[in-house]
Amino acid sequence: MIKMYDTKPPISPKLDLRVGVFICRCGGNISDIVDIEKVKEFINAEVVEEFENLCSLNGRKIIRDSIVNKDLDRVVIAACSPITHEKTFQDYIQPLNPYLMDMANLREQCSWIHENPKKATEKSITLINASIEKVRQSQVVDPILCQTPESAAVIGAGISGINAALSLAKQGVKTYLIEKKASIGGNMVKIGKVFSPVKLAEECGMCLLNPIMNETIWHENIEIMTNTKVLSTERRAGNFNILLESNPRYVDEKKCISCGKCIDACPVEVPNRWDDGLSMRKAIYKPFSQSYPDAYTIDMENCEKCGKCMRKCPMDAIYLKGEKEITPLNVGAVVLATGHKTFDPELRPEYGYNRYEDVITQSELGRIMGVNGPTKGKLKMLSKDQVPRRIVMIQCVGSRDEKPDGHGYCSKVCCMVALKNANIIKHKYPDTDVIICYTDMRTPGMYEKYYKHGQDNGIRLIRGRPGEVNKKGDCLVVRVEDTLQRKFTEIETDMVVLSTAIEPSKGSEEIADIMDIGLTEDLFIKETHPKIKPVATDVKGAYVCGTAQGPKDITDSIMQANAAASKVAEIMNDGLEIEPFVAEIDDEKCNLCEDCISICKYKAMSIKDDQVYIDPMSCSGCGKCLTVCKPRAINIHGNIDEKIFATISGMLKDKKEGERRMLVFLDQVGYTAADNIGVNRIYYPESIYIIKVHSVNRVMPKHIIYALENGADGVFIGEYPGDLMYQEVEKKMNQIREEIKEHDMDPERLQFSNVYIPYFRGLANKFKEFDDKIGAMP
Amino acid sequence: MDTLKIDENPLDLAEKILKDIKSSEGMGLLKCIQCGMCTSMCPGARNSDYNPRDMIERVLEGDETIIEDENIWNCFYCYTCHSICPVGNSACEVNQILRQMAINKGIANDKVRPFTGFIDVMMDLGLGKIPSIFHDDLTRDIGEEWKEKNLHLDEIREELGLKPLSMPKESIKEIRSLLKLTKLDKRVEKINE
Repeated sequence: MIKMYDTKPPISPKLDLRVGVFICRCGGNISDIVDIEKVKEFINAEVVEEFENLCSLNGRKIIRDSIVNKDLDRVVIAACSPITHEKTFQDYIQPLNPYLMDMANLREQCSWIHENPKKATEKSITLINASIEKVRQSQVVDPILCQTPESAAVIGAGISGINAALSLAKQGVKTYLIEKKASIGGNMVKIGKVFSPVKLAEECGMCLLNPIMNETIWHENIEIMTNTKVLSTERRAGNFNILLESNPRYVDEKKCISCGKCIDACPVEVPNRWDDGLSMRKAIYKPFSQSYPDAYTIDMENCEKCGKCMRKCPMDAIYLKGEKEITPLNVGAVVLATGHKTFDPELRPEYGYNRYEDVITQSELGRIMGVNGPTKGKLKMLSKDQVPRRIVMIQCVGSRDEKPDGHGYCSKVCCMVALKNANIIKHKYPDTDVIICYTDMRTPGMYEKYYKHGQDNGIRLIRGRPGEVNKKGDCLVVRVEDTLQRKFTEIETDMVVLSTAIEPSKGSEEIADIMDIGLTEDLFIKETHPKIKPVATDVKGAYVCGTAQGPKDITDSIMQANAAASKVAEIMNDGLEIEPFVAEIDDEKCNLCEDCISICKYKAMSIKDDQVYIDPMSCSGCGKCLTVCKPRAINIHGNIDEKIFATISGMLKDKKEGERRMLVFLDQVGYTAADNIGVNRIYYPESIYIIKVHSVNRVMPKHIIYALENGADGVFIGEYPGDLMYQEVEKKMNQIREEIKEHDMDPERLQFSNVYIPYFRGLANKFKEFDDKIGAMP
Repeated sequence: MDTLKIDENPLDLAEKILKDIKSSEGMGLLKCIQCGMCTSMCPGARNSDYNPRDMIERVLEGDETIIEDENIWNCFYCYTCHSICPVGNSACEVNQILRQMAINKGIANDKVRPFTGFIDVMMDLGLGKIPSIFHDDLTRDIGEEWKEKNLHLDEIREELGLKPLSMPKESIKEIRSLLKLTKLDKRVEKINE
C-alpha cells in the first residue's frame, strides 16, 4: 500500500510570531474552578492577560490596546465556547484579520465539566497551548464575496413559474421566463374550474389566471421566451451561463393580428392536445384563445407546406422556412418550475381506458365540463350524445400503487379534483348519480368542508378500490368491494372517470440532467432538505417550485413559487459571503484526471476551458477531493491541514507519565452537543480533549496516526448521521484502523460514533466508556 | 365488546405468517390498507362467502379463528389478488399458510382427503398423475373427449413415437422407500383416519 503521508508532520513551529493570550474569568464561571494565576504562570506567550468579562466593551479595549501596543500577530481567547462568542472576538481583534484568532473553550468544555480544580487547571493550560500552536499556523484569509448578476431564469411558465417570475420582477430582478410550449399558462389553463374550499364554490380557473398572465406579459422586468428550451448550463460562482434553443413559430408574432383566416385555409386536421385530443385543430393554430404570445403558430410535424395559409394571411405574417435560434443567457439564479404530467391510464388495462370510449380521465372530464372545451361545457358521453345516468370515479389510479409503473406516493390533489368535478356535475345535472370509489378520502384542513359540501349535494362514496371495468350489454360495469359493508358489488354505469396520478414531467428530468440536479427516487426534483430547505436544490443558486418538486395543488404551488423567488432575492440583494476555507486548484499540477469531479458530493467541481474549476459557492471545504488527487494539485485555503497537526501537537504537549489523553474530533453539530454537556453540568473524564474541525472528513489518516504516535491514547471521531459526508467518513474508519494496525498499534484506539445535538447525555456516556476502554488497555 | 389486553400483540399471527417458508420475500401483508381490490377481482368471492380482504383483516387483528373458517377453502389459487395488490401483499399466499395451519391442527382432514389420491398414485406408479376419483369431474368439465384420450393414452403415445408413461420397477421401489422415509404414508394414514 502506498503511504500518502510522512510520519513527521509537515509543519514548522513559526516561533517568530508574537502571540497574545487573553483569559476570561467569566464572572467566576471559569475562575472558581480554574486557577488563573497558575495558568498564566505556565503559558508561554508574548502577552498573557486576564479579565473579568472579556466579551464586554472593556474587554475589547484591553485586547485591541494589546494588539496595537505590543505588536501582536496572533491572538488566543481563553474563555467560553467559540459557538457562543467567536463572532464577537473576531470583531474585537480588529485590525487583525478575523481568522488569526482562536478560542480555547475553558468554560463549556472544562470548568463546567470538571470539579477537581487541579485537573481543570492543567487541562486549561493544555487547551490554551493547543490554541497557541494552532494560531501560529493560521493565515490571513478573507471571506469570498460572490457577485451575482441581478437576473434570474425561470424554467417553465405554468402557474408556479409565472408566479415566481412575477415575484422576482416585482423585487427588481430581471427575469427570463422560459417555456417549451407555444404559450405560457401550463396545466391550469386546461382545468376549467378551480374550487375554493372556503367559499364552497367553484370558480373559473382562466379568470383567476388571466390577470396574473397579463401582469407577467406587461411587466418590464420579465422577458417571456416561448417555444424555447434549455440546451446547456454552466455554473461559475453565482453565475449561470445558459444556452437556449428556440424553435421558430413560423408566424411572426409582431405582425399576426390573430384574425384566424389562416385556420380556415389550412387543410390539415390533427387531435387538439389542449383538449386532451377530444377535439381537432388545424396544423396552424393558437393553443387557446388567451394564449400568449397572442399569435398563431404552425405545428411543423403535421404541416404539409401547401402555402394556403400564407396566401390567406392579410398581414403577411407567415413564413414556412425558419431556423432554430440559439441564445446565450447569463443569470444569477435559476428557478425550476417544470411541472408535472399525469399517469398514463393505458398502464392499467384492467380499467379499459383504451377499450371503452366512456372511460376517461379527470383531465378529460375537466375539458368536457369546460365551456371552452369540446362540448362547450355540456356533459355528454363520448360514445353517444347523451347525458350519463351515472358516473363512477376511480381514485388512486397510479398513486399509492407499488406495482410496476405505479407510484407509492399519494398524489395529494385527486380527492379534491374528484370532489370538484362531482360537485359541478351534481350542480348542473342533479339527476346524474355520481359515485366516488376511494381508498381513503384525503381532504385536510378546509378541504374537509368541501368534502362535506359534496356529500350534501348527493355525491355518493364507496370505500373500495375497484379491480376492473367491464362492459355488460349497454352499460359499463365497475367491480368493487364495498369494504365498509363487506359487499362485493358490480356497479352499472354510463361513464367511468379515472383519477390519474401526478407524476414528474419529462422536462424536469431533462433539466435535472442538464444542470446535474439531484432527483428523488420518484424522479421529482429533490430539495436540499425536505423539511427545512424546501425550495433549495443540491446545486447552489438553483431553486425549485410547484409540481416539479412533488404533487401539490395550485395554492401550494404559488406559495412555493414565492418562496423560491425570495430565496433568489436573498442572493441578489445581500450578495453571497462565503467562508473562505474552500478548495483551490493548482493548474500546473493538475493532470485533468477528473477524479475530484466525480467524488465531490457538493458538485463544486467542473471543467471550464480545459481546467478544473472549483466553485467557492458550492465547496464545503470537506477535503474529500484531496484524498483522490494523485498529483496533489488541490489545497484548501487557510492551512487547515497544518492547523489540525498543530492543534494535535499542542493538545499533547507536556503530557505526564501515566496521564491519559484522548483526542475527540467534532464538527459544528458534534461540538454543539459537547457544549451542551457543559451547559447541563454533566461530568466526563478530564482525559477527553475536544478539537473543533470544519468537517470531520478533514481529519485524515495521517493526522490520526500522528496523534497516536505522539502521545494520544485514543482518537474519537463523532459525526452527525444527517451530514452529507457521513457515509464517506464511516467508510474511511475501517481503512484507518487497518493503517493503525500497520503501525503496530491497537486499532481499537480509534472510535467512531454518531452524534446528535439533543443527545448530549449519550455523548458524555460515550466519552466515559471510551476512557474506561482505553484505560483497560495494556 | 372486545378488549385489547395490554400485553396482547395482535400482529403475532401476521408475523408468524410472514416467517413461514411459504411466504414470499418482502410480502406486503403489514402494509394492507383494506382497499378491497383483491376481493373485487376474486372468483372465490363472486361465488362464495370467501373474502380475501376480510381474511387479511382478521389475520392483522390476530383473530386465530380464521384458521377454522370454512371459507378459506374457497380460494382457487388463481393469484389475481397477488398480481393486483397495490402494496405487494398476497392474499393467496396467506391463504395457503392458513390452510397449512389448519392441516397441522388436524382440523382439515376432510378438506385434504381427496388429495391423498395423488400420494397413492405416487406410491403405486412413482409418478404424479391425476387420481381416478377425479376422472368423472374432468370428463364433466372438459368433455367425453378427455375420457377417450385418457383411456387410450398409451396407444396415442405409441402413435406419436413416445414411450409409455411408466417408471422402471426399481425406480418405483426407490421412490416408494423415499416417500416412506419422509413418513408421507403415515401422514396419509392420519388424514384418512
